[in-house]
Amino acid sequence: MQLEAPSRPSALRSRLSAVACLLLASGMPAAAHAQTGATSQFDGSVLIYGEKSRAQVFEPTARVTRLYPDGQSLSAQLGIDVITGASPSGAMPSGRIQTTTTPSGHVTRLPAGQIPLSSFKDIRGALDLEWQKPFWGRLTSTTGAHASREKDYQSLGANAKLTADLMQRLTTLTVGAGFNRDGVFPVGGTPVGLSDGSILLGTGSNPKRVASAMAGVSRILTRRWMMAVNASRAFERGYLTEPYKVVSLLDANSGVTVGQLTEQRPATRDRADVLVSSIYHLTQDVLYLSYRYYWDDWGVRSNTVDLKYRRELQDHTFLQPHLRFYRQSAADFFTFGLIQGAAVPDIATSDFRLGPLRTMTLGATYGFHLADYPGEFSVRAEYMRQWGNGHPPDAVGVQRDIDLFPALDIGSLIVGYSVQF
Amino acid sequence: MTPRARRLVHAVLFIVLPALASGCAATAVHPWDRDLLAEKTMRFIPSPMEYAVDQHIYFSKEGSTGGQDVAGGGCGCN
Repeated sequence: MQLEAPSRPSALRSRLSAVACLLLASGMPAAAHAQTGATSQFDGSVLIYGEKSRAQVFEPTARVTRLYPDGQSLSAQLGIDVITGASPSGAMPSGRIQTTTTPSGHVTRLPAGQIPLSSFKDIRGALDLEWQKPFWGRLTSTTGAHASREKDYQSLGANAKLTADLMQRLTTLTVGAGFNRDGVFPVGGTPVGLSDGSILLGTGSNPKRVASAMAGVSRILTRRWMMAVNASRAFERGYLTEPYKVVSLLDANSGVTVGQLTEQRPATRDRADVLVSSIYHLTQDVLYLSYRYYWDDWGVRSNTVDLKYRRELQDHTFLQPHLRFYRQSAADFFTFGLIQGAAVPDIATSDFRLGPLRTMTLGATYGFHLADYPGEFSVRAEYMRQWGNGHPPDAVGVQRDIDLFPALDIGSLIVGYSVQF
Repeated sequence: MTPRARRLVHAVLFIVLPALASGCAATAVHPWDRDLLAEKTMRFIPSPMEYAVDQHIYFSKEGSTGGQDVAGGGCGCN
């Protein structure tokens, strides 16, 4: 019996398959490299961030990535944050008009219902390095290092990640871990928690260690659709208190502030989250959707929904609207103030970021090319609003008539540029 | 962790993860069908630098963190 030769795929199909496999095997940066002959990429951005009547940030960032023919890449990112303005001290509104006089004789009158702020000014520099290397055909390792420094905080960190492509590259498994060795050295020394601030624990650096791990799986579901699930955990140990934040002491009957204590947080924090992400390609446009559930042993629970829609326009331009909604519950030890004369708890904070807050973000990115310049430009403008329940049921006296959690309006603008050379 | 949160996490782990691992697509996606998937826009983090800036902003204004990566440095902002 003469057997028929197995049918062979057409030449065109074989070539397309080979091209597709090559692109997917070598990763996107290398694919771009193959198309353009570029061996390096520069990404730069400038962030201008402003909170209404509070903090302002100017943050230029530059990233250079070296792309090698075997798929390796090496990148370095340098960022500088210039931060000025003021943030809530944690103190509650006094309930009466307060007049303060500076040593130079300048008199300031603070309205009865206004949240007290603390002024600050700082510059933070951060350097991040990353090395990505494919090996054994289906594995890719990514290792990174981080260093940053500001006036009263220093961070050194390292992380590693391994991805494996499985099942005809339809599924990708990822595992990773990171460790940060940080130090907090408050200006003027570290105050004893829940004291009047006059007693110091010391003037040196307070250690803070963060170990984190993550695992994830992503899957190509259809020709247009990818999904991923990531789970991560982080364990923080050491000095986790905000040294400049305070908690108000309130008169039990009138609710007027009669003093304040420094805040105190636990020395450990275990965080966890699960993130589900989806990307759907609509032939031209792309829809990004993600949901994250977060919880920790401080009692904070949060839900985050993030939606982006990339709309391709003419002449290689695009418009990408962005909508994000975030909602968190308060930490167990969050309080809008302590009653004078009552027992002082072991831990307490009035930092709004550990309160029952909501955040809504609305913005859009416009990407474009200029005729006489290589590379891609982008401009992103976003509006962010934060608010919470400013009339808690346990408010006392005049505090009941004041919005203790006034909404905060934030605007940001990012101008970006990316080019291969 | 509250019972409600535990149920939610279990639902994600026991329904979504196996679906992703085993492949709930009706048909396999062959390499020659992955032209759209190979585009730069089909990455979970299309712009790592913009992602880092965003995470820094959210970290400084909210009580949660985490998500796509273990990378990222500490900051005195929160």
